[in-house]
Amino acid sequence: MKGFMQNMWKNRAHVIMALPAFLVLFFIMYVPMAGLVMAFKAFDYSKGIFGSPWNGIENFKFLLASKSTFFNMTRNTVLYYLLFTSVGTVLNVALAIAIDNLILKRMAKTMQTLMIIPVFISYAAVQFIVYAFISSDTGLINNALGLNIKFYSVARYWPWILLITKIWKDTGYGSVLYMSVLSGIDTSLYEAADIDGANKWQKIAHITIPSLIPMITVMLLLSVGNVMRSDTGLFYQVTRNSGILYPTTQVIDSYVLNQIFKNSNFGFTAATSFFQSVVGLLLMLFANFTVRKIAPENALF
Amino acid sequence: MAKMVKANYSKNKYGIGQFILTVILILLTVFFAAPVLLVFIAAFTDEVYITQHGFSFLPQKWSMNGFNSVLRYGSQLLRSYGVTIFVTVVGTLLGLLIMSMYAYSISRRDFRLSKFLSIYLLIPMLFNGGQLSGYIVFTGYYHLKDSLLLLILPLCVTTMNVIILRTYIANSIPYELMEAATIDGAGDYRTFFQITLPLMKPALAAVGFMMATAYWNDWQNALLYIVTDSKKPLQLLLINIQKSIEFLLNNSNVPASARAAMGGTIPQYSATMATVVVVIAPIMVVYPFFQKYFVKGLTVGSVKG
Repeated sequence: MKGFMQNMWKNRAHVIMALPAFLVLFFIMYVPMAGLVMAFKAFDYSKGIFGSPWNGIENFKFLLASKSTFFNMTRNTVLYYLLFTSVGTVLNVALAIAIDNLILKRMAKTMQTLMIIPVFISYAAVQFIVYAFISSDTGLINNALGLNIKFYSVARYWPWILLITKIWKDTGYGSVLYMSVLSGIDTSLYEAADIDGANKWQKIAHITIPSLIPMITVMLLLSVGNVMRSDTGLFYQVTRNSGILYPTTQVIDSYVLNQIFKNSNFGFTAATSFFQSVVGLLLMLFANFTVRKIAPENALF
Repeated sequence: MAKMVKANYSKNKYGIGQFILTVILILLTVFFAAPVLLVFIAAFTDEVYITQHGFSFLPQKWSMNGFNSVLRYGSQLLRSYGVTIFVTVVGTLLGLLIMSMYAYSISRRDFRLSKFLSIYLLIPMLFNGGQLSGYIVFTGYYHLKDSLLLLILPLCVTTMNVIILRTYIANSIPYELMEAATIDGAGDYRTFFQITLPLMKPALAAVGFMMATAYWNDWQNALLYIVTDSKKPLQLLLINIQKSIEFLLNNSNVPASARAAMGGTIPQYSATMATVVVVIAPIMVVYPFFQKYFVKGLTVGSVKG
């Protein structure tokens, strides 16, 4: 103990330097964690989270009873995660390989610069861009096809619209990471393949893709921890938060956001939040455990 | 260098394969860039043209009226610009400073708290209270509703960014250099501010740029917490514009002629797109200068810290 105190005194400058970020994390991240106990309380705004009376697992019973809302948003959350992650990974890798194979390097660089731009546009702005394409009277798509499809009131179109929007926004940026792996591949491997008479596709299948597999695996596993969290802006802004579309667009995050604005149903929402956080934690631990097994240097902890 | 070698030995250098690849990539670039271009074109398209013919890449009639309408609600736009710039600059600088200090402290080998502080840093990545709990704590307990602090603090310290900074210190700044400075009589603060921090520039540029875009694009905290007009950032202004258009479109009592007459004061298509241009243009201007840094930052972040 004495040694520890001495070490603290010797390192007092480091204690002080770590303090500001420590406090920000404490007040912004840690205190709300304690707030999750409201899932087990009959919340009353005037009494606050900690003053409200306990009500056991009442809120969770309510959650399981309301099949349509809870199951619908959980299903959407998980399915969109699977859709975005699978399609996204394939496209990120394909784009990275395509750009890497282009001989005109300067052109490749310019293309990449242009492709990354969408990631820097907020969903509040993306929403207007999507509108310009799919609005029923002024939209480009309806005008080009001479149709009058009311995209904003038909739920079944939305998995496609959201997928295309997501691909458009994130693929350019997503390929950057894989590009950096590609530039690290030993060129002598390709030279050897050339000598053996391999064609372009054989080289991609036997050298390029195997070199990318470790990074792909790690990225996939780490993303598992975020299954329960969605890109809120995509589901809240791009859909214009339209109630008609909820069957295919409501995810947990957008649901919670809506409930906060409606200022209602906090017990139910708190139970949903609790479920989201706990499942997120378990998935994260699982993901890290698995990464640790197969690629320890990429594990988070 | 390595890439040039790779290109040179390729047998079918400018063959049919390269041609097809180039065409595909050009089409893809168009897919990514065209929607952004459309925003710029629509901002300069005549309003009546859009209502009659819809959005178009090649409108027959151009106009500056969209931007004129934007200027008409000018004072709010200027205020929102001010708020966004203030939040972005203060948040990014503050975040970079306190995160680098934290990263520096936990990278000291003889500091016995560093293990604890590393775990403390990691936990928020695994588990968090969620939006609802955060909302109630920030508004009900801290009484920060309508405060700019809630636009700054929630994005100020993130685990991933601290890990990037710490990894950079561990891999790219020789520990001996910092020790030598201490032996030469520089205090801990001086070692950090005069030796470590200046050497961290590439990492700071990468993290700083990513933070700045996160601040610039943050709409969620603004929507949740900001009420007063004078504190509304640009993203919230965009959301408000969308809501007022929706009101106009859903209100079928408003006859078409009246809507057209109101075109000047109530934001319409071209004016909305002009606002989008005003909101997204600054990032696009700055981004090419930072591209090489954030590519590096992304790579560092993916390797274990």
